[in-house]
Amino acid sequence: MKIKLEHGAGGELMEEFIKDFILKNLSLKSAGGIGLEALDDGATIPFGDKHIVFTIDGHTVKPLFFPGGDIGRLAVSGTVNDLAVMGAEPLALANSMIIQEGFDSGDFEKILRSMDETAKEVPVPIVTGDTKVVEDKIGIFVITAGLGIAERVITDSGAKIGDVVLVSGTVGDHGIAIMSHREGIAFETELKSDVAPIWEVVKAVADAIGWENIHAMKDPTRGGLSNALNEIARKSNVGILVRESDIPVKPEVRAASDMLGISPYEVANEGKVVMIVAREYAEEALEAMRKTKRGKDAAIIGEVIAEYKGKVILETGIGGKRFMEPPVGDPVPRVC
Amino acid sequence: MKAYHIHVEGIVQGVGFRPFVYRIAHEHNLRGYVKNLGDAGVEIVVEGNESDIKAFLNDLKHKAPPLAKVEKVKKKEIPPQGFDSFYIEKSSQGGSGGDSIIPPDVSICEDCVRELFDPTNKRYMYPFIVCTNCGPRFTIIEDLPYDRINTTMREFEMCEFCESEYKDPLNRRYHAEPVCCPVCGPSYRLYTRDGKEIIGDPIKKTAELIDKGYIVAIKGIGGIHIACDATNEDVVEELRKRILRPQQPFALMAKDLETIESFAIISDAEKEELLSYRKPIIALRKKEPFPLPEALAPGLHTIGVMLPYSGIHYLLFHYSKSPVYVMTSANYPGLPMVKDNDKAFKELKDLADYFLLHNRKILNRADDSVIRFVDGKRAVIRRSRGFVPLPIDIPFEFTGLAVGAELLNAFGFAKNGRIYPSQYIGNTSKVEVLEFMREAIAHFRKILRIKNLDLVISDLHPLYNTTKLAMEIAENEGVEFLQVQHHYAHIASVMAENKLDEIIGIAVDGVGYGVDGNTWGGEVIYMSYEDVERLAHIEYYPLPGGDLASYYPLRALMGILSKIYAIEELKEIIQRCCPKAIDSLKYGKVEFNVILNQLARDINVSYASSTGRVLDAFSVMLNVAYRRTYEGEPAMKLESFAFRGKNDLGFSIPIDCEKIKVEELFRQALEVSANPADIAYSVHLALGRAFGEIAVEKAKEFGVKNVGISGGVAYNELIVKTIRKIVERNGLKFYVTQEVPRGDNGINVGQAFLGGLYLEGYLSKEDLTL
Ligand SMILES: [Fe+3]
Ligand SMILES: [Mg+2]
Ligand SMILES: [Zn+2]
Ligand SMILES: [Zn+2]
Repeated sequence: MKIKLEHGAGGELMEEFIKDFILKNLSLKSAGGIGLEALDDGATIPFGDKHIVFTIDGHTVKPLFFPGGDIGRLAVSGTVNDLAVMGAEPLALANSMIIQEGFDSGDFEKILRSMDETAKEVPVPIVTGDTKVVEDKIGIFVITAGLGIAERVITDSGAKIGDVVLVSGTVGDHGIAIMSHREGIAFETELKSDVAPIWEVVKAVADAIGWENIHAMKDPTRGGLSNALNEIARKSNVGILVRESDIPVKPEVRAASDMLGISPYEVANEGKVVMIVAREYAEEALEAMRKTKRGKDAAIIGEVIAEYKGKVILETGIGGKRFMEPPVGDPVPRVC
Repeated sequence: MKAYHIHVEGIVQGVGFRPFVYRIAHEHNLRGYVKNLGDAGVEIVVEGNESDIKAFLNDLKHKAPPLAKVEKVKKKEIPPQGFDSFYIEKSSQGGSGGDSIIPPDVSICEDCVRELFDPTNKRYMYPFIVCTNCGPRFTIIEDLPYDRINTTMREFEMCEFCESEYKDPLNRRYHAEPVCCPVCGPSYRLYTRDGKEIIGDPIKKTAELIDKGYIVAIKGIGGIHIACDATNEDVVEELRKRILRPQQPFALMAKDLETIESFAIISDAEKEELLSYRKPIIALRKKEPFPLPEALAPGLHTIGVMLPYSGIHYLLFHYSKSPVYVMTSANYPGLPMVKDNDKAFKELKDLADYFLLHNRKILNRADDSVIRFVDGKRAVIRRSRGFVPLPIDIPFEFTGLAVGAELLNAFGFAKNGRIYPSQYIGNTSKVEVLEFMREAIAHFRKILRIKNLDLVISDLHPLYNTTKLAMEIAENEGVEFLQVQHHYAHIASVMAENKLDEIIGIAVDGVGYGVDGNTWGGEVIYMSYEDVERLAHIEYYPLPGGDLASYYPLRALMGILSKIYAIEELKEIIQRCCPKAIDSLKYGKVEFNVILNQLARDINVSYASSTGRVLDAFSVMLNVAYRRTYEGEPAMKLESFAFRGKNDLGFSIPIDCEKIKVEELFRQALEVSANPADIAYSVHLALGRAFGEIAVEKAKEFGVKNVGISGGVAYNELIVKTIRKIVERNGLKFYVTQEVPRGDNGINVGQAFLGGLYLEGYLSKEDLTL
């Protein structure tokens, strides 16, 4: 078999690929807590009455600088967000950079400054790193690992029937912005990526309703909202019903995706969190999200149901209901 | 004296078969009994003279009641037991794995109509009047044997009068399971949209309300209709707004044939079908000028009409001034027709002003069937009420489930050499429709007594809900699962119905998932018991935005033109030929530029060989239709437009290495200066010639005598007729289906046929998917 782009696209194909190759060929896969097998946002290691959370993310976005961000901001946000959605406060990051020979040092510096600014937003220190220069035409890849600490680990598999589904803001911004920018498609309003660290949003909700009432969380990156919800539904063995009219989408993102024929639910977000909370705390959670800078467009978009276990249903008002399927391939490649 | 045990299979239940046997046994002085065996047919024992028995058997075969169909008669001599009379014995439960067939719903018969309007009759003006020759069957049957207890009529206990008729073997209501009267049977009630009952004769009031211009939901046999006065333009427009169908043709119901003849042209074959017990909707040619509102079927040269098929319809027209109603299914686009009272109030509250509902449950939803005569032959567009659950014979004995495709779906069960296609299910991409399909599957399994399956068959499309459902069923039951390519199944349906063993098939439709992952729909296929092979097809063209191109056919037009024109030229052509098409896009000019960009940079572009999209594209180019608000709209309007053309401009489509280069047809159409209707007409003829000629060439090359056509474009009169003439001129036989729907509503039959070929070892999985 030859590995194809779709194998890294975050959809069903990638999952099969991971199971058939990575999980099969590695044997020591857990450090006592959540390990590789869970395919969650990160791993956990028990540490006294708390949990160390450990994660890593490689970033290969094209172009390196895009409206609303760049690879540096992406690299810090991506890893911080993986920690955050496990319920972990980010403690420290490690940063590995693979650079193409001939890369412009000015651009390189811009990327590092952007990383620094983003890290200060969280805040999280970048405490170790590694640098390689290669002759392959890759531009630059930035790989960041992150270490965090969680009082209570939030997995993808904790959603319970009756829970409520929240999203911290508008959906589809990053993927559609990059796509439009990259392909030189001009819309009336310029689209911007939402790339940002969302620890602040997660912490605000936890402070308001307590970690124990956040039952599941994901950052809807590759495969978008659709993939995130499907993973939660499958891993929690519940159904999820979301109402199309309640899912926040920027009008310009909606328009762009309408015109391209690409669903805003299937493309990456880099500054959002999908949260499943206990029903009685839903309003409080929403309020807490909305008070944060990154969560002001947050919305309750649906609920966890007993029927259709492992599936996500999209209710489209008068149009009826349809399944919100995880994307098969990647409508917009190389976005993170 | 002799005695015989006789076993009869066929449509022998619920059609007055036993009283018929009783009558002829008496006529021939025979003694013994007749007994209903549920799904296993009817058992008869007769004793008497050899010659009387012979005469009896002759009548049994040749004088059966109109709805009965005697398919198998097995007789065996037994020792006489000395019966002293002939009687009808109680039914047994069945379950012996036989395959007697449940009759479909039958329209009200002439005798019952006569009684309905006879003031001296007990059932005068009673809408639920039935007899053994008419009335609901499939829609009320819960299980076999077909006895009242197994129907939704069991909630209504027969009064003495009805019971006396029901039990009298010589009465025409003997064992008419839904028999009832105003004393004991169901009744209609009229409600406002908030569920308040309106006092007075509900049917008369309804007729008055419709005459006044109100929209009323009317519960009937297989579901609920939305009815209004079809002669009133304002109410028709109002209904369009409420039901969210801006353009989709509305079906009409007319009081009688004379009324229909006042606004449509009826051929003899169409008349026969209109009057048949199925009472389908028939797409008839509109009279010119059309005396009814254009809004009934905007932009089409046809109008769908049916005749009254139940007591309620006769009564409404009896009271109403208007002789023709809109009678459309009560549902929003893409959702199942509403059939239950509680749901009606909930889901139709913004649709109807009033609700005329009865209190008999509809167990099995059955939409009105839709038929069009194409090139003189019956083409079933939607096969449902009146047809279902009648089977279609195939030469394979396996037990299997074929789940169909996605749009306009139906599934089918294969059992003992037959396929039983289900009623119309609908668009299974909707969860509600998929749920209906699950229920209907369970019901069919029950009434067909199917326990173990040998095979589950689905389309090749990995994302169809039906494919996933089929995989789930196969996995849960440990049954083998087979996928077959969409257009192979279309062609197989032609082989199945016409009992062919090889064919050159022309599969022309909107979309089907191809074995190479592209969107197919303009295919020439060789199919036999030994092999399946795609021989030729429309050369792939880009569809910017993929699926979006189905809804905005300008995208298909731009995709096709981009094969022969540079982007700048393409832009100029569209701006010149069909500027309004650009405005019709959701985001107008901005979107137009995005499409150009998508084409230039290959962003989210799929590739297609669909004939449907080619017709759609011409519809845009000739400014006939810019949007698809219902399945097939642009292509159907193009055909209607083409009927106004007279001159064949002699376009021809080059075929290069088995690729039909449709883009050249667009070039010719752009370069000619002619009346647009003539262009539309010529486009149809050219497409017909291209497919006809390549099919004939391939038939000769393969030594095949049969050419057939299927898929949604096989409802197109001009194309089918052109192809048929070419095929026949070359001494070959031309086949279509007249029973199995040519569109995706009939694909389950082809799937089941291919499933049979697979199980018997003729074809491999690879043959069907590669
Ligand atoms: Fe089809
Ligand atoms: Mg992640
Ligand atoms: Zn009758
Ligand atoms: Zn009665």
